Amino acid sequence: METIQKTEAQPNPTPPERLAYSVQEAADMLGVNYFSVYRLIQRGKLKPCRALRGKLLVPRTELLKLLATE
Amino acid sequence: MSNPFDHRRPTELEDKTHAEAVRHFAEHLKQFPASREAVERLERDTDKIVLTANRAVAKPTPKENVIQADDGKHWHKSVDLMENIHLCHRPISYAAEYAVVEHFPARGTNEILNRDWNAGEVLKSFTQGLRQTLRVWTEDLTAQMKEFLAEKFPGQDLSRVADAFIHKCTTQAVSQKHTLTHGHEQNHSRGVRI
Repeated sequence: METIQKTEAQPNPTPPERLAYSVQEAADMLGVNYFSVYRLIQRGKLKPCRALRGKLLVPRTELLKLLATE
Repeated sequence: MSNPFDHRRPTELEDKTHAEAVRHFAEHLKQFPASREAVERLERDTDKIVLTANRAVAKPTPKENVIQADDGKHWHKSVDLMENIHLCHRPISYAAEYAVVEHFPARGTNEILNRDWNAGEVLKSFTQGLRQTLRVWTEDLTAQMKEFLAEKFPGQDLSRVADAFIHKCTTQAVSQKHTLTHGHEQNHSRGVRI
């Protein structure tokens, strides 16, 4: 008789942590409106980097730094 | 920037992609005009705000409107500018110093954004900073728009769609439902509604 071998369910691998977020995503995570994030950028409180076409990306480290100083 | 579709009607593809972009960036279309109008309102009401701030110096300030800012000094709230942002003054013998102070409710702190001996100058610096912020936003939105179009419709020249969208975003009037803050609706005991 053939036995069916039980295979153990593999746990879902955790997705790699994002390194940067769009302004919209940053605003959602901080719980503020878009203007507030752009104001933080304009005032130098958040230092963004730019993606290929010039889109602003807020590094995760910048968000953590902001929250730490908050 | 004028609307490029005013000069030549959009093609079927441009029409379709524009409609998709409007859906995709709906939140920007809602928030940008509200922010822009809040800035325009401050610029329009500058004289009125400055007058109110100058008059406030001569009057006693209720205790609840005196706040300690991050410079350790006590500031008197004169006018609500935006939600949690106030034009304040600090009486010093026969003069007064003015500052735009932002309150952070989560921390309970008050950060000085601009300060000057002239209320008009401090307000001008503040609104110039806001104008610069709107420019940063517009540039970023333009870049996001180009990325969206290039990814969804590779190889197509849809620059007119991007221009028409940015034109819509930067000129569209805000709907009554979407005001930037409720700060303008608060009737500050010493301030004016702006």
